[in-house]
Amino acid sequence: MTAVKTTETAAPAGDLPPALPPAATGGAPRRRRRGSAFDRALPYLLLAPALIAILWLIGWPVVSVFVTSFRQLNLGELVRGEIVWTGIDNYVTVLQDERFWDVSLRTVVFTIAVVGASVGMGLGIALLMRVLTPWVRIALQIAMLCAWAMPILASTTVYQWMFDQNYGILNKTLVQLGFDSFAGYSWFSSGTSTLSVVGLLIIWQAIPFLAFSLYAGLVGIPRDLYEAAGIDGATGWQTFRAVTWPEIKSLLMMVTFLSTLWDFKVFAQIWVFREGGPSGESTTLPVLQYLEGIAKSHFGVAAAISVLMMVILGLITFQYLRKLLQTEEGKI
Amino acid sequence: MLKKSAANVAGLVLALFFIFPTYWMVTSAMKPKGTTITSDYDLIPFSVTLTNFITAWTKPGFLSSLGNSLLVTLTAVVAAIVIGITAAVAMSRFAFRGRKSFVLLMLVAQMAPFEALLIPMFLMMRDLGLYEHLSSLILVYFAVTLPFCAWTLRGFVNGIPAELEEAAMVDGCGRWGAFQKVTLPLLGPGLVATSVFAFITAWNEFLFAKVLIRSQDSETLPVWLSGFQTAFGTDWGGAMAASVLFTVPALVFFLIVQRKMVAGVTAGAVKG
Repeated sequence: MTAVKTTETAAPAGDLPPALPPAATGGAPRRRRRGSAFDRALPYLLLAPALIAILWLIGWPVVSVFVTSFRQLNLGELVRGEIVWTGIDNYVTVLQDERFWDVSLRTVVFTIAVVGASVGMGLGIALLMRVLTPWVRIALQIAMLCAWAMPILASTTVYQWMFDQNYGILNKTLVQLGFDSFAGYSWFSSGTSTLSVVGLLIIWQAIPFLAFSLYAGLVGIPRDLYEAAGIDGATGWQTFRAVTWPEIKSLLMMVTFLSTLWDFKVFAQIWVFREGGPSGESTTLPVLQYLEGIAKSHFGVAAAISVLMMVILGLITFQYLRKLLQTEEGKI
Repeated sequence: MLKKSAANVAGLVLALFFIFPTYWMVTSAMKPKGTTITSDYDLIPFSVTLTNFITAWTKPGFLSSLGNSLLVTLTAVVAAIVIGITAAVAMSRFAFRGRKSFVLLMLVAQMAPFEALLIPMFLMMRDLGLYEHLSSLILVYFAVTLPFCAWTLRGFVNGIPAELEEAAMVDGCGRWGAFQKVTLPLLGPGLVATSVFAFITAWNEFLFAKVLIRSQDSETLPVWLSGFQTAFGTDWGGAMAASVLFTVPALVFFLIVQRKMVAGVTAGAVKG
């Protein structure tokens, strides 16, 4: 989800002041203790709609996905409204399927590659932006903004056109440059090649957010730290290690975490290019879940895949998630 | 000096890399029919036309899916923002039992991998009789954006000193009056930023739109565009024109938010 994005994006310009929740500072609670029953109920009344919505539309589906994963639920059972419990049969089916392991491994490798490349390049561009002449920096920022703002389906369509086998501008350019073997070259003839194009598309659209956030973080580093490092005669690399890195590390961890959440569950781009093909070679876990659940109507098996998907994502992000929750809990 | 110009060259190359797909989308959309699909090397267009936009605009399904997308997205975002504000104010302005767990719930909820809830969502919408109805998408997009809106708005409300509201109450405003006259106006930029990002999320959404809606009349724009080959065949010019039309609302909102972000700085200055 674009979700958490904003908190970060707000940072470049607005940067929310880390104000203490006023409620904790004294005045308000004192008044409320003397307040009427309505006053005491007010916060709960204000929270009720959001709480009900979250429990109903997020909480219940989370429970339901676990419950469904222990049921045999195909189209027949669904139409008849039958409830058939099968214990861990769905998990056995999924885990015994070699394809599931292939797809899981592919998903993890794909996620790591895309996150690594986009965060790495995002940091590189953020560092680069600091030394650019202003008009070059603005040109770069506008270009990145255009990439960022393009709806996913629009950019996917444009990439399909650019990578078109016969008339795509990429193949035509490569031929112009003298690589004649690219005339009529199909970029989607193998899973690896398809996923590489999808990966490039995702990285291209992910970098702007990363570069802008990290650049905002870099700009916030006090100048005198660099001056001090300069006086001490530090080299560029030493300055980066001693000054930049410690200041930017937590922000970098945060955006890496968010990127992992987003890139792991990519569906639209992969589906639109080749529907997980050719012959299932570019299928990732979200695509597998869709194929089993929606295309084949094996809802129970698909729910088991969903649960395993969350487990894998949880394993990848566990360390960071725990730390994040601890920090946030301390802040509240 | 040499180092600086090397950096600038790298910056310009990167700018080209990022802008190229946009450039290619727009120029392909403006090429006259018959000149798009060609083996000639046509990086720079020589003649320009707008007929592709008319073609795309009048394609069956384009207008209805545009309307559906706008309806679904705007309804969901308005609902998420209104309910998000009330929750944000409660979390930020009141001390009450369970506050901490609620804030953590919001944080966790906005990180929930929604795509993994596809199956239960599908089953739930079917049970509710909302399958094939746009209202199912409205509910999903509302649920996706609500925790994020509440969480982000909480940050913005935290940034507005409660003393301002208290001062207004001392001057005789009621609690609602103080919120309406003091906090809400100061919340403006944050509100715009939050709703734009919620808008983009819903505007982009593809998986649920594909699964919950099957009939062409109720399709949203991403799903319609994903099947552009049905509508356009190999008419890449038309497909690019449709992509441009799809991008414009998102780009406009992005530009608004960039400006409001700057306004956010001045708003933050209140804390003095």
